[in-house]
Amino acid sequence: MKYIILTLMGLVIFTPPVSARPVSYSEGWTVMLNNDGDKNTAHVHYSPTAKTSIGYKFENWRDKEMVLNAVQMNNLLKRWNKKDSQANAYLKSGVGVAYSDAGDFDGKIEPAVFTGLALDWEDRRFFTSYENRYTEAGKIDDFYTQSARVGVAPYIGDYGDLHTWLMLQVEHTPEAKDNFTVTSLVRLFKDVHLLEAGMNTRGEVLFNYVFRY
Amino acid sequence: MKKLTLLLTALILIGATPVYAEHHEGGHKTKTEQAVKSGDAHVSVNGLVCDFCAQALEKTFGKKEEVKAIDVNLDSKVVTVNFNDGRTLSDEELTQIITDAGYNVEGIHRVE
Repeated sequence: MKYIILTLMGLVIFTPPVSARPVSYSEGWTVMLNNDGDKNTAHVHYSPTAKTSIGYKFENWRDKEMVLNAVQMNNLLKRWNKKDSQANAYLKSGVGVAYSDAGDFDGKIEPAVFTGLALDWEDRRFFTSYENRYTEAGKIDDFYTQSARVGVAPYIGDYGDLHTWLMLQVEHTPEAKDNFTVTSLVRLFKDVHLLEAGMNTRGEVLFNYVFRY
Repeated sequence: MKKLTLLLTALILIGATPVYAEHHEGGHKTKTEQAVKSGDAHVSVNGLVCDFCAQALEKTFGKKEEVKAIDVNLDSKVVTVNFNDGRTLSDEELTQIITDAGYNVEGIHRVE
């Protein structure tokens, strides 16, 4: 119930929502590398259709001293195509194993699952997204996270140009000591490459890279 | 905060320069602007908001033997489909392909 309320709060606070693309075009492969103050992750997925992708997910939660290896499936629940904008709702879920080095859990391996909703809206000038996730890693840990982004493109490029977005990301992890983190970042997108770099209010660097083929 | 400002400034400068250069070269050259012929199709599509959408349609149409090339215009939201000689796709087939790719067809106009 606590997580439902937190989710609704997130939706209200961050509406209208938006997200990155966890599903590619039919028969497309995507490599996503994310690094921020909490974790390093890698996600490689294949999209048999434009509505589903399946792949491998690796996560290294540094402070939690937990490593997660999972099979992740992403489903496009609904897309709203308008003349000048697009909105999407995705379900992102995974199942795998978690390994922890921390304290009492030294060397412990537990089954792990996670699931979450990702929403996005964008036109060529503005972008907004919201995403949440609940993770259950057996006796090692269970936690809830949510994040939202707003972005603006300082110029509108043609197809094939380098596209630049200035973005602000807010992350909320209820269990953390500093449970709200704000990150300023720049997204650069050209051809099949997407790169993001920024820094949060704790001075930690964010660096993400996405490649599609 | 100073580090963040420097990082953002550097990235913006890095990002803006190539765009300026490309516009000076005359912008993006399309494949079909040079060879649109009778029977080719201009398809108005909803949901075209970024290069990823355009890439998705290029990949999808690229698998079709009937299609020689396509051009996606993000400003007008029109996809121009250039067919190989003697080949074509019906309006229903074009609509199905674009719908399966995740977009909505608003209208189809054939080149006279």
